[in-house]
Amino acid sequence: MLHMQNISKVYRTELVETHALRNFDIHVREGEFLAVTGPSGSGKTTFLNIAGLLEEITSGTYRLDGEEVQSLNDNQRSRLRNEKIGFIFQGFNLIPDLNLFDNVDVPLRYRRMPAAERRRRIETALERVGLASRMRHYPAELSGGQQQRAAIARALAGEPRLLLADEPTGNLDSQMAREVLELLEDINAQGATIVMVTHDQELAARAQRNVHIVDGQPSDLELGPVPLVRPAAELRQV
Amino acid sequence: MDFVPIMSTLKRHKTAAALIALEIALSCAIVANAVFVIRERLDRMSQPSGIVVTELIQIELEGIGRAGSEPSTRDEDMAALRAIPGVRSVAATNQVPYGMSSWNTSVNLEPDQMQPILNGASFYGSEDLLETLGLRLVSGRGLEPDEYQQYEALVERGAEGAVPSVVITASMAGRLFPDGDAVGRTVYVWSDQPTRIVGVVEHLQRPGDYFGPSDREYSMLLPVTAPMEYGDRYVLRVDPERREEILAGAVDALLEIEPDRIVSEESTTTIEQLREEFFQQDRAMAWLLVAVCVALLAVTAAGIVGLASFWVQQRSRQIGVRRAVGATRGQILRYFQTENFLLATIGIVLGMALAYAINALLMERYELARLPWQFLPIGAVTVWLLGQLAVLGPALRASAVPPAVATRSV
Repeated sequence: MLHMQNISKVYRTELVETHALRNFDIHVREGEFLAVTGPSGSGKTTFLNIAGLLEEITSGTYRLDGEEVQSLNDNQRSRLRNEKIGFIFQGFNLIPDLNLFDNVDVPLRYRRMPAAERRRRIETALERVGLASRMRHYPAELSGGQQQRAAIARALAGEPRLLLADEPTGNLDSQMAREVLELLEDINAQGATIVMVTHDQELAARAQRNVHIVDGQPSDLELGPVPLVRPAAELRQV
Repeated sequence: MDFVPIMSTLKRHKTAAALIALEIALSCAIVANAVFVIRERLDRMSQPSGIVVTELIQIELEGIGRAGSEPSTRDEDMAALRAIPGVRSVAATNQVPYGMSSWNTSVNLEPDQMQPILNGASFYGSEDLLETLGLRLVSGRGLEPDEYQQYEALVERGAEGAVPSVVITASMAGRLFPDGDAVGRTVYVWSDQPTRIVGVVEHLQRPGDYFGPSDREYSMLLPVTAPMEYGDRYVLRVDPERREEILAGAVDALLEIEPDRIVSEESTTTIEQLREEFFQQDRAMAWLLVAVCVALLAVTAAGIVGLASFWVQQRSRQIGVRRAVGATRGQILRYFQTENFLLATIGIVLGMALAYAINALLMERYELARLPWQFLPIGAVTVWLLGQLAVLGPALRASAVPPAVATRSV
């Protein structure tokens, strides 16, 4: 699904040159639930941004779902993000001026989908995260856990092949965090590939596979310190 | 397009949206009315005068003391003026279009008529007047030399005095005889004696600015010499390139005949100059309104830029999120343009109602005509374009927000 080879990402200012990722190789198989951990400033978010086509690489090769992406222009990258990737952010990033229905509708509108199809997908996605009765509510009227579930519904409505989660439970209490994680596990069990960046070891331990990034380089791929490859059915019972 | 979610967003920012819509409404209303007034002024300035403006010069000699105003001197004056190289034609007259003094008389269709049909400007002078002014005869003939009478002699005859013929304008002919040709018909323009219309000229603007637009061309040429009491006024048709030179030479020639005459500096000039002065207020008003429109549109544009910039800055994270979930730069650009289009449309709808309210006030207070509906689309399109232009900068900045903003910690 996601194949990065010899990736490097350098941020340059007038005074400083920062190597966020160097000689970065990773291969994520379709249907995997991968947790990416690492200390602050290690390059986790840079990796996620590059994986999600939010940033361009400085050098190397990146293939997403078989397509080389480093040569794509801005519009092509936008289209690919819209069609193949779903994002879940730490701060939920719902649009405060739109109700849940319109929030979930945002990526679908950019896909120029017919209104009836959009409505079906939005209702299905909100139903799936348990917020069907709240679709006319605004984000500020919901709890943090509900907002994150709404954000997941927004990511799911586009039926993406790859779900990228950036500290998805970082702003939630433990009960809500558990609910969101169970939801992600459920989504993974349905076949979506999930890459989750987290600094929470306990959370990472529930993923099928862990990658640890230090100083812009991944380590312990597949054979990490806490390798967890469990059947999805088993995961749902946790 | 994204009308529904954008309207939903605007509803959540009612105050800012309402203020900018009101500003747009006010601009739209004022611009529509201002453009209308400017158009009216420009129309007034472009009306035909009937005369060959660029070929004419006028010399006015004050009547103080009357020295040199005997008829014999007038003939000598005109002979001297005709002899100047570059002069094509010379005539004496009592008035010219764009002059501020005018001779007017009632025009009746019956003797002893209590209510005149109209009031028209009476051009007296000499037999070359029609040709010198460059008037275009559309039917009948001009005035013959033997038809001319001394003004003073006519006045002395009182009620017995009669003017046998007159040439009128097409505008006057249409008003007097809407059903057909005016040539050969009778009017009463001098005491109660009948006067026969012998010719019709296409246009001849009356002097002064005392009558409404419908009376603008109610003018006639009568075979009467210019009254001597008010001095002498000559109009010369000349080579346009040599107007200034001929003007100076003509004054010298006249003063050589009779040095004691006073030349009116103000009125001794080209007709083009008189025209410039005649429309000075119209031009000033038009430019003032242009300046008001430009200032108003600039302030409105600044308001739009300010609000749009603030919203772009305020929403930079959600723009990043939109980009992250698949919006292209073009879609972000269009989002802000559409938002502005909706605000401008609300403003335009309010502005149109306001435009008619302002127009009603102007009609009541300043006798302005009713605003034609065609001016509303002009105001609307102007405001739409202005809005799109003003929002372009902030919208381009918005479209440049990178999608990675979505994952940055606050």
